Amino acid sequence: MPVFYMRSPVYYEAMPPGRLHPISVALRDIASIFGRMGFSVAYGPELEEEHYNFNVLNIPADHPARDMQDTFWTKESPRRVPRTQTSPVQVRYMEEKIAEGIQPPYRIVVPGKVFRNEATDATHEAQFYQNEGLVVGKDITLAHLKGTLEQFFKEYLSEGAQVRFRPSFFPFTEPSVEVDVWFEAPGKEGRWLEVMGAGMVHPSVLSNAGIDPKEYQGFAFGGGIERLVMVKYGVDDIRGFHGGDIRFVYGFDETTA
Amino acid sequence: MKTSRAWLQNYFNKELPSTEVLAKALTFHTAEIEETTEDLLEVNVLPDRAAYMLSHRGVATEISATLGIPLKQDPLREALPQYEVSKRLTVTRDAEGKCSRYIGALITGVSVGPSPEWLRVALESVGQRSINNVVDATNFVMLNLGQPLHAFDAHKLTEREGQYAVGVRPAEQAERITTLSGETYDLEEGTLLIADMHADGAPLGIAGIKGGDRATVSETTTDIILESAHFDGVSVRKTAQSLKLFTDASSRFQNKPSVALPAYGMRDIIALIQEVAGGVLEGVVDSHEELLPPDPVVVTLDQINGVLGSTYSAQDVSGAFDSLGFSYTLAEETFSVLPPFERKDINIPEDLVEEAGRILGYEHIESVMLPVQSIAPDQAKFRGIEAIKDFLVARGFTEISTPAFAKEGEIELQNPLQEDRPFMRASLLPALEDALGRAVHVAPRVLGHSRYIKLFEVGTVFTKHGESLLLSMGVVDTSGKLAAEALKENVATLEQELLRIPASAHFNLTGTIMELNLGKLNLEKLGAEYAPVSVRLSAYRPFSSYPFALRDVAVWTPEGTKETEVAMCIQEAAGEFLVRTDLFDRFEKEGRVSYAFRLVFESLERTLSDTDLDPAMERITEALNQKEGWEVR
Repeated sequence: MPVFYMRSPVYYEAMPPGRLHPISVALRDIASIFGRMGFSVAYGPELEEEHYNFNVLNIPADHPARDMQDTFWTKESPRRVPRTQTSPVQVRYMEEKIAEGIQPPYRIVVPGKVFRNEATDATHEAQFYQNEGLVVGKDITLAHLKGTLEQFFKEYLSEGAQVRFRPSFFPFTEPSVEVDVWFEAPGKEGRWLEVMGAGMVHPSVLSNAGIDPKEYQGFAFGGGIERLVMVKYGVDDIRGFHGGDIRFVYGFDETTA
Repeated sequence: MKTSRAWLQNYFNKELPSTEVLAKALTFHTAEIEETTEDLLEVNVLPDRAAYMLSHRGVATEISATLGIPLKQDPLREALPQYEVSKRLTVTRDAEGKCSRYIGALITGVSVGPSPEWLRVALESVGQRSINNVVDATNFVMLNLGQPLHAFDAHKLTEREGQYAVGVRPAEQAERITTLSGETYDLEEGTLLIADMHADGAPLGIAGIKGGDRATVSETTTDIILESAHFDGVSVRKTAQSLKLFTDASSRFQNKPSVALPAYGMRDIIALIQEVAGGVLEGVVDSHEELLPPDPVVVTLDQINGVLGSTYSAQDVSGAFDSLGFSYTLAEETFSVLPPFERKDINIPEDLVEEAGRILGYEHIESVMLPVQSIAPDQAKFRGIEAIKDFLVARGFTEISTPAFAKEGEIELQNPLQEDRPFMRASLLPALEDALGRAVHVAPRVLGHSRYIKLFEVGTVFTKHGESLLLSMGVVDTSGKLAAEALKENVATLEQELLRIPASAHFNLTGTIMELNLGKLNLEKLGAEYAPVSVRLSAYRPFSSYPFALRDVAVWTPEGTKETEVAMCIQEAAGEFLVRTDLFDRFEKEGRVSYAFRLVFESLERTLSDTDLDPAMERITEALNQKEGWEVR
């Protein structure tokens, strides 16, 4: 069936409003849901030092963990990386706070662009957005991670969303988990979707940032934003997001609440 | 790691459940499973567990721990035999110590030939090719225990005074080696080699990666020298990467297995060679650095529950540690664990928290909300950026997102994905110009009958002086020459009404596109009091990759006829290809109203032709003319 969409009877002299990119819409949803749970929004550079992208996150040079992400390198000396993850902002943020004399608790989300040097297809892009989360405090547990993510997915995806953890490995968290979310798309059967990696912040990441891991602990998570948008709105090819094609942006109808 | 259920079964008396059940148990307690078939489980072993789990034995221990099926035998817990020290073989390690252990053994009188059925089947079940009984035996033991092994034809080494001398040495400048499969590699100086020390150090293999062609085992081989060694993971990894030669051996060594493991590998390969190829063990020689027992790792029950947010008892945790075969002492709810030698992943208390958590099951972790926080979250910068986007959207601008890689720029990538885009973008304008050009072509389909096409992007650019967040804006006037004027006016409005300072925008020569540095603005201040517009999106409708076609229709209607009535009539008559109806003209004359619509036709499957469009237009014309007092003009 063709879809008809009538504009209100305006004439060409009049100016209809433009559109927000769906990533912006997602960023607003993310910021607002996490904002209600007390999260600030933090930023860091997209072209990152090797030190922050890898070393302080427990990924030393010549460690097999570096193979977990295909990395672009610049020709600079010292070389830098278009960041492979938003996680470097964890350490940057904590360092900044410690330098300002502000001890935890911290709660931040870091939505931002990341880069992976891998062949592109319907589900892989060389650049995409990730949303990182970091909570550090005195008694933060894996149970808080589960509660926080469940709340996010209930609000972002659907009331019926559930979260489950599977064991995994990231050098900067211990324990580390993969996060699956149970999602029932309208008119479809529910299924578990792998949506992010997470875990309890590794004590050496805390100490690298100048925080005493004996006193504080926390959780961190990170996952692709395009993937969430794809699941939520039924987009089947990730390559439309950053191609600069307005047909993609207009593939969604926008209404303001 | 490809593992075979039949192979794993050797570790258990009880019959194992199906691969599906095994996969589920491993998925929720150990590692992701990439693929399962009736016999095969492809386990995605991540770097932390690779020191012990790139082996059937390692996967078997995980199955035992997660499903509570006791192991029949564990080759890493069985005592090591004492061998005669070889009188005919010496081994030397490199001076730098990149080889921390080298065990050699000489077996004489083997007969090389096809492998027995069980060995061939076992290897083929995990996708390996059977070569001959000796080579197959080394591969089997590697896949079973995780210890890479190698067999050399002893007669192809130089014997001096009745002795062979195998050594580990760094490559000299401009050395080359041809591997057993025939490829020749130029070696970087310092690459670790296995060498025949009685033949001026002639290279026998690239240490920890692949054997050379000099001493390959063949049908005529009778005496073999076996190698079971430990090479530095970083060194092996660097060499494998620089030669682009990644092997089963290199993937194991780079994950730093235990220095104790080679002894178990040697024990099993000696036994298996004698079983499948006969021969007599002359002796074994073992050169190693000091072997240190693992340090105990201490964790308290409070720590475990305090990190997991659980309420496990000491008994629960003991159960998990027992199932993993850990030896530990428990006193006053404090576990002092002596990690098994192969568990190189257990070094800090948090590692034990993970072991307890995953074995007891993350499904038991409750969801707990974070405590309410007294400090208000700071989202001012984010809201400042969004304020600008909202301001522009309200003025008819559409947001785009374009790639950060560009044809030109100041920061070049060493390994770009696309050869023609080797730079990080230093400006948003080329991509904006490109997007505007494409938008013109699709505008009738997407925007309807809009005169102006207005796009913007907020994105990061990268220059030698650093990176900055930029805003780009561009306008196309599809039916006049007012684009530059329109853009200028919109930028001025942005500066005056929102930013409240001149933002030093850089325009292109025609004045139709511009960019400005948002980093120079006080975005925090802009966002301090701002709440971004909350937007809801519909489900996504993919666009067609085929061109759309346009047709116009104008109709006289009686006074009082509504636009929607006409549109409905057109839509009902048009058929499946009409995707858009846009009113572009309306006027009244002598008691009649004229409506003119632009119709957009499109198919998701093909390019439409006149044979699709003409009948549709005929149907529309007929439907409109049939209405009382309507007349197509």
